[in-house]
Amino acid sequence: MATMIWMEGITQTFHLEGMDLPVLKQINLSIDDGEYVAIMGTSGSGKSTLMNIIGCLDRPTSGLYILDGSDLTTLDDDELADIRNQYIGFVFQQFNLLPRLTALENVMLPMIYADVSRSARLKAATASLIKVGLSDRLNSRPSQLSGGQQQRVAIARALVNHPALVLADEPTGALDSKTSQEIIYLLTELNQQGTTIVVVAHDVIVAAQTKRTIYMVDGRIALSANAGVQPVDNHLIANAAIVQR
Amino acid sequence: MKKHDLPPLNPKSRRRKKRKISFRKILIMSIETLWNNKLRTGLTMLGVIIGISSVIMITSIGQGVEKSTALEIESLGTNVMIVTAGAARTGGISLGAGSASTLTWEDSQAIAKQVLAAKSVSAFLQRGQIQVVRGNINIATTLIGTDLNYPIIKNIQPQEGLFFSQADLDASRPVAFIGSKVRDELFSTEKSAIGADLRIRGKRYTVVGVAETKGLSGGQDLDDIIYIPLTNMSSQIVGNNALTGVAINGFWLEASDANQLNSAQFQVTNILRLRHGIKTSTPDDFRIINFVDIMSAFTNVMGSLTLMVGAIAGISLVVGGIGIANIMLVSVMERTREIGIRKAVGATSGSILSQFLTEAIVISVVGGAIGVGLGIALAFGAATIFKFPFIVPLWSIGTGFGLSLIVGVLAGGIPARNAAKLNPISALHSD
Repeated sequence: MATMIWMEGITQTFHLEGMDLPVLKQINLSIDDGEYVAIMGTSGSGKSTLMNIIGCLDRPTSGLYILDGSDLTTLDDDELADIRNQYIGFVFQQFNLLPRLTALENVMLPMIYADVSRSARLKAATASLIKVGLSDRLNSRPSQLSGGQQQRVAIARALVNHPALVLADEPTGALDSKTSQEIIYLLTELNQQGTTIVVVAHDVIVAAQTKRTIYMVDGRIALSANAGVQPVDNHLIANAAIVQR
Repeated sequence: MKKHDLPPLNPKSRRRKKRKISFRKILIMSIETLWNNKLRTGLTMLGVIIGISSVIMITSIGQGVEKSTALEIESLGTNVMIVTAGAARTGGISLGAGSASTLTWEDSQAIAKQVLAAKSVSAFLQRGQIQVVRGNINIATTLIGTDLNYPIIKNIQPQEGLFFSQADLDASRPVAFIGSKVRDELFSTEKSAIGADLRIRGKRYTVVGVAETKGLSGGQDLDDIIYIPLTNMSSQIVGNNALTGVAINGFWLEASDANQLNSAQFQVTNILRLRHGIKTSTPDDFRIINFVDIMSAFTNVMGSLTLMVGAIAGISLVVGGIGIANIMLVSVMERTREIGIRKAVGATSGSILSQFLTEAIVISVVGGAIGVGLGIALAFGAATIFKFPFIVPLWSIGTGFGLSLIVGVLAGGIPARNAAKLNPISALHSD
């Protein structure tokens, strides 16, 4: 199976008030094409930072990142924008829809930057919204939609350019449990259709749906476990981290 | 970095060729964004509109007032001077109302003969607040006794009848050429004033003509005047019988052309000082007002006025510019999150910057066009209400338009460029 994500020695260091704050420390990670991976960890463990680097929203301080055979560390900002546009669909905890645009216009946005014609945009965006079950809310603005519906619009937007990789950063963090289930089901369905999915999860229910879970502690990958293997408690993860060091 | 650890490069890589968003799409998107944010767009545009329209209106009013004043001065004649009796006392002497009896009819005749630069000379006697009666209507007006050169020098045309004739002047006939306001006041109920009688200081005069309406000049209503022969004025109103030794209030002199005016003034001064026996150290007992001097003095004043108007226009432009800059800045700052979202879905810094610049240009151009229209309309309204010529200087349109465009592009573009340069995650976390 082809490798989708290959990371070697990725570090990320933030500078806050003159102090160096290492957030990611020597991350080595490989995710295959078609995988469904959850990243878990406590707040501050670096999981969102890792996600942002995977999604090309941020650059690592050092290290090698190869996405589907392309070395991203050598690309300039415009080329990274192109990667985000063509390769990656991002789903955020806070949806991040443009409030003034309708659901349809929000979903069409990535295709504008791919220079797709208006008729093709309309067709693809409509199809994408139908896919997430919002065929009756095409012309609603985000303020007229529930949280779950907004997240569905965001997922439709993430899918519209047919990305190889969908990244979801705590996609159910702002939703109730029933709506969360629907969103998780949607992501699972996507993965079954062949899309590689990486999801940052704050609860085990989300993680349980994935095929592999990566646990992060203090900027390192402490444990990478296949589905069904659940750590008993945080001590185990912490111990695993110590063992890795 | 250990090379052998690298995964095999994917031969079936789906990485597609880099695409660039077309300008047409950016333009459409910008217009859609502006339309979707009508309030913000409207407020920003209002800044541009106020800035440009005030610049155009103020410069137009300034130029119109300047032009109308210049026209008024020119109507006095650009190559004329007035010589009035009496040395200047404290303050100035009002035009044509010299009070001291230092100038005589003979003086004006001598000037007419001896000053070669003089084309014509017109002596006059003038009295204000003269009672004039027609039937049971009773008014007080200004009475001027003069000769036939007066209407030529002062450019007075009859709208009805004629000015009095040389024969009237020679025979000292009681005839009157009246201003249009006098006609309106005394003959409002009558078909024509020509041939009708009126009483000046109780004496009967026949109206021979009515002057065209001239309006106000230097605070004097040029239509509230009655002209009668100088000879008659001297004998009947002022009270002298012969013209020799008759005191006059002054005389007008028209030079053969404007360039001759200064030499005419020099000769008039010398002749009058000689005739009046004034010693070298003694000041003149007459006063000369040269209209070229007034004109140039006035042009200077108007020049500074125009400059001041320009300065006010500049200030309004700066204020308008700050308004544009302010709302553009705020607009871009509160849209940093939007910039983050757009970048996250694949917008390059360049396309973000293009979009914001296009929005700024659209606002500046559309607001500018409305501002130009509004400014012209306001200027036209002001010119119509206050009766001065309607002039819109092209440079004011150009300057207003250009500056708003520059300010709009800088104020919209610089913060947009900074925001576009942020990495997407910083932009997304901006609020």
